[in-house]
Amino acid sequence: MTNTNEFINHLASKLGRPTPIETPPPVEISVPQYRLSNTEERASIFLQNWQALGGKGAIVKSDNDMLQCLKEWFGDLPVTWFKDNPQALIAWDMLPSIAESAFSTLNWPLTRYTQSSLDPRDRYSIAAHAELGITSSDLGIALSGTIVMNSDPLRGRAVSLLPPRHLAFIETTKIRNNLFEVLEEISALGTPPAAIEMISGPSRTSDIEMDLSIGVHGPIEVYVVVTDN
Amino acid sequence: MTMYNLTTDQRVDKALADNFLRQATRRATDRLRNNKYKASDELGNWEEWRNAGETIRKHVIANLDFYLHQLIEQMEKRGVHVHLAKTPADAVGIVRNIVREHDAKNVLKSKSMISEEIHLNHALEEDGAAAVETDLGEYIIQIAGEPPSHIIVPAMHKTRQQVADLFEPIAGHALSSDTPTLTRFVRIQMREQFLRGDIGITGCNFAVANTGSIVMVTNEGNGRMVSTLPRVQITLMGMERIVPSFRELDIMLNLLARSATGQRLSSYTTILTPPKKSADSDGPEEYHLVILDHNRSEILGDKLFRTALNCIRCGACFNVCPVYRQLGGHAYGSVYSGPIGSVITPLLEKDWKKWGHLPYFSSLCGACTEGCPVRIPLHDLLVKLRMRKTQSGHTPQVEQQIFKAYRYLFTREKTLRRALRLGAHLQWPFVRNHRITGGPAPLSNWTKSRTLPMVAPKPFMQIWADLNNKR
Repeated sequence: MTNTNEFINHLASKLGRPTPIETPPPVEISVPQYRLSNTEERASIFLQNWQALGGKGAIVKSDNDMLQCLKEWFGDLPVTWFKDNPQALIAWDMLPSIAESAFSTLNWPLTRYTQSSLDPRDRYSIAAHAELGITSSDLGIALSGTIVMNSDPLRGRAVSLLPPRHLAFIETTKIRNNLFEVLEEISALGTPPAAIEMISGPSRTSDIEMDLSIGVHGPIEVYVVVTDN
Repeated sequence: MTMYNLTTDQRVDKALADNFLRQATRRATDRLRNNKYKASDELGNWEEWRNAGETIRKHVIANLDFYLHQLIEQMEKRGVHVHLAKTPADAVGIVRNIVREHDAKNVLKSKSMISEEIHLNHALEEDGAAAVETDLGEYIIQIAGEPPSHIIVPAMHKTRQQVADLFEPIAGHALSSDTPTLTRFVRIQMREQFLRGDIGITGCNFAVANTGSIVMVTNEGNGRMVSTLPRVQITLMGMERIVPSFRELDIMLNLLARSATGQRLSSYTTILTPPKKSADSDGPEEYHLVILDHNRSEILGDKLFRTALNCIRCGACFNVCPVYRQLGGHAYGSVYSGPIGSVITPLLEKDWKKWGHLPYFSSLCGACTEGCPVRIPLHDLLVKLRMRKTQSGHTPQVEQQIFKAYRYLFTREKTLRRALRLGAHLQWPFVRNHRITGGPAPLSNWTKSRTLPMVAPKPFMQIWADLNNKR
């Protein structure tokens, strides 16, 4: 094991000067960033890019829209799933109220991931056997069709990872133009959460003969509902 | 591991005779390169992004001691165990100890070039705690016992049938070789491993100094699995892999995703600020960060080559290199292949005998330099490495003798004239269509694969003299 000071001093000697005490002045960065003119446009471009990556998406404006959208995507599947597995829908502890009320109207009971078991391995197993993982999303990126999720105690990171399908809810006003704006906003919060997950479409690989294949490890199907109040 | 025992010439011959490899290399590099063009053109101002990338990387490297110190402080403040490794052996020892301490049986790995550089898997296998590679491409070459042939698509050289053949003994039944079948097999096979994992080992694309964060990009989601499920995580990072803050991270992530695969962002970009908060349900409770020097500090102190540390491991230089395109990665013989591999391998390994051939795996066309998102002057560094190699006295005897003879002749006019006249006579048995096509050693070293222009029957010096006489 090498001592930190020794390690750092060695680098300073290679750079031919003592290690600066103050943070070096940041470099100037000037790149023209991608910008759209309004929330509506951002939501629509976000959705377009998300779909281009192979995700499903819709903008909903009312409770009724939400019900229609979920029914259209999943139909009677959840009812079939519940027959084999009452924990088929695994979710964060809290979802946007429009989503919570839609699930209760549809009578699709949600299993709350963090409360599903005290033992982490059991929780992973429950999430891995679920059919659909349901989360919200803190921010979105229009340019890349990306949803951004900060970890916290009420939110399992595995919910968006282990089930074969992932459904996320995001408000139109949370969609930013580009990655820069998202990182700027997260920085402003102070210490970042333990994990920030940025997800752009389903799990993909081209490792076998450069042939694109979906769902090698992460979710195979990904859905986003953009809520517009 | 056979290719490790071959000589450079044997590896090259093997690559040139392998039609599938060459076709696969062309297909992969064409695809990746064209995707990159699309993704970089779309920004409309790629050169400005490259400028920003170059400026940031140079700034980080010029202040590497400060930023590394800041990163370590931030990490340790939160209870991350930071380990500093001077050598690959140190890094391997650190990881081995952690694995032993936890008596870990299921060690999972997402992609890490550092783990390849330090040959970690081999060491863990000896301890009976083999780390399972979870990236599909890495998994394939792990079973095959081969090094990566491309930094982004490591199993590019394998046919789907070869992949199916490798998977079959594990599956215990025949597998069809279509991609969905093969990926589904890996999904099921790997799922069990993920759920049982004791320790996750990951690489690190960037480390953010002022927040003490690790940034990891994957497309498959295996990086997320390995950093979410096991109770203990070990991240391996090369000490130069730093950005000052989230502000610079924006530029670097854009350059990386667009240059590597032509994506706007990789499918999964994860920023970890470990360890998990005590009330968090997922994520590692215990986090180890292993920071590797392995002669990077020597490169830092070497002004001629310092820019080699600017690399972000996107692989863009591979995809434009005419030599890589013909040979694929294994002919290089090194863990890092392609133009950047030819630059950093001799510098990291400091062994001209073993790696002296690498700076010559280049036509010096400069496509790598043009393709590099952070503007590393790769072809220029390759020339300087050739110079370094010559200065260190590792040029082959024959080459040394030829250059001595060249120097001797070209500093003695009369002798040169005589030699040229002699050459003009002696060459005739070997001349075909005005080219010298054979000859005795050492000339035959050249002519066995190429030809030389013939010595002019009337030397230029004579033509010049005649012109003067006519005036």
